[in-house]
Amino acid sequence: MNKEPLSIALVGNPNTGKSTIFNALTGLRQKIANYPGITVERKVGTTIIGGVLHKVIDLPGAYSLNYKKLDERIAYETLIGSYEHEEVPDLVLVVVDSSNLDRNLYLASQVMDLGIPVMLVLNMTDVAEGKGIKINPDLISSSLGIPVVAISAKNKTEIEKLKGEISNFDLSKPEALKWNPDDSLKEAMDLLINDWIKLHTDIPDRAQAIEALRLISEGDFKDAFYTFEDEGKGRATIRKAQQIIEQGGGNPMAAEVLLRYNFIGESTSEAATHSAQSEVSITDRIDAFVTHKVAGPVIFTLVLLFMFQAIFSWATPFMDMIDLLFVEGGNWVANTLPDGMLNDLLVDGVIAGLGGVVIFLPQILFLFFFIYILEGTGYMARAAFVMDGFMTKVGLHGRSVVPLMSGFACAIPGIMATRTIENWRDRIITIMVLPFMACSARLPVYALMIAAFIPSTTVLGIFTLQGITFFGLYIFGIVMAVFAAVVMKRIFPTGQQTPFIMELPAYKMPKWSVVFQNTAERGKVFITEAGKIIVAISIVLWFLASFPKTEMPQVVQSESTEYDSSFDITENPESYQLRHSFAGRFGKMIEPVIEPLGFDWKIGIGLITSFAAREVMVGTLNTIYSIEEEDGESSTLKEKLINDVNPETGKPVYSIATAISLMIFFALAMQCMSTIAIVKRETNSWKWPTAMFVYMTALAYISSFIAFQIGSNL
Amino acid sequence: MHPLSIGKEGEEVVVRCLDCHCDDVCRLNELGCVEGARGRIISNQKSVILQVGEARLAIASTLAKTILVSPQ
Repeated sequence: MNKEPLSIALVGNPNTGKSTIFNALTGLRQKIANYPGITVERKVGTTIIGGVLHKVIDLPGAYSLNYKKLDERIAYETLIGSYEHEEVPDLVLVVVDSSNLDRNLYLASQVMDLGIPVMLVLNMTDVAEGKGIKINPDLISSSLGIPVVAISAKNKTEIEKLKGEISNFDLSKPEALKWNPDDSLKEAMDLLINDWIKLHTDIPDRAQAIEALRLISEGDFKDAFYTFEDEGKGRATIRKAQQIIEQGGGNPMAAEVLLRYNFIGESTSEAATHSAQSEVSITDRIDAFVTHKVAGPVIFTLVLLFMFQAIFSWATPFMDMIDLLFVEGGNWVANTLPDGMLNDLLVDGVIAGLGGVVIFLPQILFLFFFIYILEGTGYMARAAFVMDGFMTKVGLHGRSVVPLMSGFACAIPGIMATRTIENWRDRIITIMVLPFMACSARLPVYALMIAAFIPSTTVLGIFTLQGITFFGLYIFGIVMAVFAAVVMKRIFPTGQQTPFIMELPAYKMPKWSVVFQNTAERGKVFITEAGKIIVAISIVLWFLASFPKTEMPQVVQSESTEYDSSFDITENPESYQLRHSFAGRFGKMIEPVIEPLGFDWKIGIGLITSFAAREVMVGTLNTIYSIEEEDGESSTLKEKLINDVNPETGKPVYSIATAISLMIFFALAMQCMSTIAIVKRETNSWKWPTAMFVYMTALAYISSFIAFQIGSNL
Repeated sequence: MHPLSIGKEGEEVVVRCLDCHCDDVCRLNELGCVEGARGRIISNQKSVILQVGEARLAIASTLAKTILVSPQ
């Protein structure tokens, strides 16, 4: 029995239930953060087995150790012991989907070559049984020479069974190269190991074979994995190794793969038996409909329409409750604390700013809830497949669909997800148009404007005008992304096209605990990460909007008294103070530039602060309007906007044209410093983020100008 | 032997030759679509859905043209 604390790594293909096992093992004892310097998530936790505390790392999913993406590379580097921010695991649990055994064992056979103790976890045994697949774990164990445990991670008692197997495992290392590479492959590997890897890398002896195989099948160094002293010599050595295989009658790209699959086939031929199944499965029937060339895109559009309608209408009661809570909370603090600067700071700065963020939590949670359901059911991959033909026509790639859909949540993970697009041109176009997708940060502004200025008229019996406007804004973002992609397709030269290929996971009910856990995690990230910035900005804004303190002049009806032209007899002291504050002065300064868009100086302040993060706009307006609010008055931001009147014209500040112009500006402008930073990092150049900022903001200004001018003249 | 792109829905095939770019060969291979693998065409509407073993692969029409298959 293992009495020493171990570092246990979970490895596996995507959609094998690896994260479910991680969650079941670690429970609440887990921490999710980014790896240093990059935005790949590192999931680490602890589990207690037989009274011993073990560390568990959930490595990013991968189909093989021949990495294509950054997250796969981190998994690879960790396993071969080259990643400085992660220790080499003492034990690797390779999680495989029992219903797709052969394909999953390909990765397992590679991990077995690394000289680390390996245990095979046959997960989703219930799914396999449903497909008529019977697996004998003992036979697989004796064929592969590693311990095998069959479980269904949904079942708690089976997690205990897994813990028991871990506890009893003697940590013996598997036999490397058990798949028996042929003579020419062995000779090619030896050449690369001796003439290149041993001389020019720090890769430990146990991992040199797997690195040699990776280089042979790739045929080149795909990126700067390690510092090359003589890259030319390395390439020549790889070519020489490939020639050895060609001379032996093999194909360097496929030699390893074919031998591994032969070995896997032999190992599972008796251990996994398939009973006769009906020729057309339920998945086939659903796919025939969902991936149909006509029905598929219609279904996809309906799914999006339902999703956004639901986000808007289901979240409303929760948002009203939060709004009320912050208004009442603010009033309580205002009445409890003595009057003064601290009272103002807490009520008008901190509580107003925080309330402006937290209120949108329900919508953010619903958005991620739906995204995780679409992923969990297997539909997301179908959406990518269905849209590939269209995406290719407009200059994008089928694989662009998933990053673009992730962009609905946040542009940053979406831009990171473009790493799955191997072709640089496809990738850069996807990055450049992705911020048009309506991210969750725009949601607060859309929700506020729609709730305040769009009537909730019922349309077609089931939809509301507000829901349709909300959906329309998302469609508007998609249309602009497509338009921009078509233009960029003409600008950027065509390179080597990367055709679409993706595994379609089997349809299944999502694991609800995972959906809820991941959704909650995203909500937490929104509140803590965005909230920190927004509260800080709200405090700064409170200061800028509250100082310098200016007394409203007394009305003196004497002709001899010099009249203050900025003073309006109908104005209240709070409004006068705000107009003369630092923020008011700055807003006034930029007002002539934004006036043609229908925006006043208060919106101007919001536009400036929202370049830090879009969602700051609402917090800013909340702070400004709270400061402007007369003592004892309490109303929601929505009411304040509806009732706001321009003291000079006596007309409402916000019309429907202003609201639409503002929403269009937010739909199109590049107002996110984090996105700019991530584009710089992903493209390794300031050229692309600069171009993105200029073209998106110019497009936003022109579009808002046209919308307001047309809208206000109708 | 014929390109996968002209295979019929429901046709049982054997993958004979992957005549595509080496990056695409690698991707197909790691997903289980290797020369000699047996599969079934689930759907062919320009793009193809091919069942190889228990893996269901969505393949673009351009790539499907470069995968040569023969009936089982």
